[in-house]
Amino acid sequence: MSEPILHLDHVSRYFGGLVAVDECSLSLAEGELVGLVGPNGAGKSTLFNLASGYLPPSEGSVTVLGHSTTGRHPAELAALGLSRTFQTPVAFKELTVIDNVLVAARVERPILAGLAGTWRSTEKLNRERAESLLERVGLGARAEDEAAELSGGELRMLEVARQLYTDPRLLLLDEPTAGVAPHLQSALADLIRSVHAEGVTVMVVEHNLGFLLDLVGRVVCMANGAIIADGTPQEIRTNPEVVAAYLGGDA
Amino acid sequence: MNSFLQLAALGVAQGSFLLIASLGFSLTRRVEGFLNIAHAQYLSVSAFVTFFLNNSMGIHFVVAALAGVLAAVAVGFLFGKVVYEPIRRLGPAVLLITSVGVVYMLEGIIEAVIGTGSFLVTLPRIAPVRFGPIAITFYQVMVVAVAILVTAGTAWFLQRTRIGTAIRITSLDRNLGASRGVDVRQAANASWVLSSALAGVGGVALAVLGALTTTKGFEQILIILAVALLAGVGSIWSLVVSALAIGVAREVSLLWIGAGFRDIIAFGIVILVLIFMPNGISGRTE
Amino acid sequence: MSPLLAAVVSVGILVGIYGVVAIALNFQYGEAGLINFGVVAYFAVGAYTFAILTAGPPSEASLDQYRWGFDLHPLLAALIAGLVGVIFAAISGWPALRLRGEYLALTTFAFAEVLQSLLVNVPAVTNGTSGFANITQPLRGEVGNYNLFLLIVSLALLAVTMLFFQRLVRSPYGRLLRAIKNDEVGVTATGQVPEKYRRQVFFISAFFIALAGVVYVIWLTLARPSSFGAELTFFVWIAMILGGEGNNWGVLAGVLGLTVLDELIGQLPVRSVRGVQMIDAAQVFLTGLLFVLVLRWRQPRPGAG
Repeated sequence: MSEPILHLDHVSRYFGGLVAVDECSLSLAEGELVGLVGPNGAGKSTLFNLASGYLPPSEGSVTVLGHSTTGRHPAELAALGLSRTFQTPVAFKELTVIDNVLVAARVERPILAGLAGTWRSTEKLNRERAESLLERVGLGARAEDEAAELSGGELRMLEVARQLYTDPRLLLLDEPTAGVAPHLQSALADLIRSVHAEGVTVMVVEHNLGFLLDLVGRVVCMANGAIIADGTPQEIRTNPEVVAAYLGGDA
Repeated sequence: MNSFLQLAALGVAQGSFLLIASLGFSLTRRVEGFLNIAHAQYLSVSAFVTFFLNNSMGIHFVVAALAGVLAAVAVGFLFGKVVYEPIRRLGPAVLLITSVGVVYMLEGIIEAVIGTGSFLVTLPRIAPVRFGPIAITFYQVMVVAVAILVTAGTAWFLQRTRIGTAIRITSLDRNLGASRGVDVRQAANASWVLSSALAGVGGVALAVLGALTTTKGFEQILIILAVALLAGVGSIWSLVVSALAIGVAREVSLLWIGAGFRDIIAFGIVILVLIFMPNGISGRTE
Repeated sequence: MSPLLAAVVSVGILVGIYGVVAIALNFQYGEAGLINFGVVAYFAVGAYTFAILTAGPPSEASLDQYRWGFDLHPLLAALIAGLVGVIFAAISGWPALRLRGEYLALTTFAFAEVLQSLLVNVPAVTNGTSGFANITQPLRGEVGNYNLFLLIVSLALLAVTMLFFQRLVRSPYGRLLRAIKNDEVGVTATGQVPEKYRRQVFFISAFFIALAGVVYVIWLTLARPSSFGAELTFFVWIAMILGGEGNNWGVLAGVLGLTVLDELIGQLPVRSVRGVQMIDAAQVFLTGLLFVLVLRWRQPRPGAG
């Protein structure tokens, strides 16, 4: 096996006296599609923030795309190809839908380009690319609308489109089905599958177990800050510890 | 050494004034969630009402001072309800910017009524109080006493009364308060009255401690900010420590630096605290 | 020149100067969401740098307290003044830009107060409360009507500033700034460091504000600490909010309106000292009232607030 695309090595994170993540070790190989589950307060979000460099670990180390997250700005990791979404979807509400996606477009020397007007030459191509991504997430018809007019579910899809614009190698999705209408969830699953089919490694945090177990090939389960199970959806379904954690929790 | 003690004693009096002035400011910061720059103008309102009633109409100082406090309450409550509450949803930054507008409105009114110049409240001469080598005026001692009373009273009110408890819950979480059956409206009203009344007492203290100008109240705002920020959002006691520390530091610093640099020290504290101790000495976050 | 024309010219010069400051401020607040309550500091830094660089050696006879005058060419001095504005932005921005919202407002406000206090208290550099008088007016002897010349300079600077910021705002750079204003973390997630852009916005605006300060002291021929108080900061803020933040033409209209109002009030035929005081007071009150009303009933941009 080649070097893992994401590697957490005995990672712990404390908040004051609270242990949010407790000595977790986890490796993702390039090309995997993994689900992360667990009852509320299991530490999934903290683990996500540790993996994407938004939180430094209290102990242990995190390596993403061959780089340690320690001392790196999360933007630097994002530029390397680590893309993530947030539980509350990011929305730039003063911009149109398509401009929301185009925020991810990189312009060389943006101040000079802005003053000289040279940005116009690349803008056309960028817009076409953004439009096709919006098409892909089902927002093609809303490109020129104000982002403030979108529903919660649509904002989530918009965020996915924006993050795909950054050409991720590793995509971390934080509760992608939250706020998405049930009849759109199968389209969302298809989208995730097609992104994965293009060679992007994907990890999904999800409350909706039905959605997740049908989607992914591997499931990692957390409870009380620790990883308690790691296997195929079949194994997870029947794992007594997982069942106990869920029954003891609130799911 | 003696001059050090003398300056430190003056600093305690100044710190007591700062404590009174920043108690109400901090209360608004906690309950309403924004920095009300115009709080310093409420001090001026009270100071000039007191001055006017006492000097021009010959009313007894204590009665004039009470009227001054009431005037500050009226003004603070009015602006709280009419100007600030309707735009609460726009967030703390817009509220802060709006309070600049309120500063101007009150400054205009005060200048129209008072005009320019320097005004000194005439108080009966009472022999200074001596503690060994230190002499401070009777009125400075009174400001310290009033600060103790007002602080203890505020602490008691917030901790022990039903409305005080409602104010504390409201300051923690408005929605939670409402869902737990707290009358948030009443708590907010009470908090406007209390914070403006404290500004009123601060204004009287300002009038007692020295000559007044129309801009003197507002000139206190950065020092009030320094006190409030240094204290953080902890208990009333962190405010006491912070006010006394800044009051004494400002006076004692005269031993080494010119008076002109004193304010730079206060502003320097604002900047340093914001950067290195964003939660103040209480260390707690909002 | 007739008195009316003279008044129009001086309003025009001021509109140019304040317009530059307001548009730069609008870039900070309207586009990037940075609340700078210390605008006057960058203006004062430009003004004083120009005054010091163009001043002749101190003279005993006029009781000068400053020690260094450089007699520099005014054009070079103006350019350096702009750059010193940027340096001051770097010094104040290093700590201030770590803060957000109202705390950034407080820190910048405090920086401006510290600076004004230093202008008074470091006479060896700033000549103390009396400041600098008889500031060099470049080309004074060579142009016929100096104020007309200054009007052209001031409006030209305004035009350049307007063009500069309009082009930036309408480019992907402006889009990125508004995104940072709406959601910094979201911009981070696309691989760009918001702090870097916040600093750039701060520096670029400071350059223009400092240049406006240069034109201001050339017009006034005076640089005194009392001219650089918080009033100027709030004047520009009020003009910006009145005109509608985020909209440069609206902001210019706000500046024009407030400046004309100031001038009209200054022209009122009032003789008594008390009358002047009352009018000043009424103006201050109305400015505050207008400010409060506009904030209450302005049309928020989509999603704002």
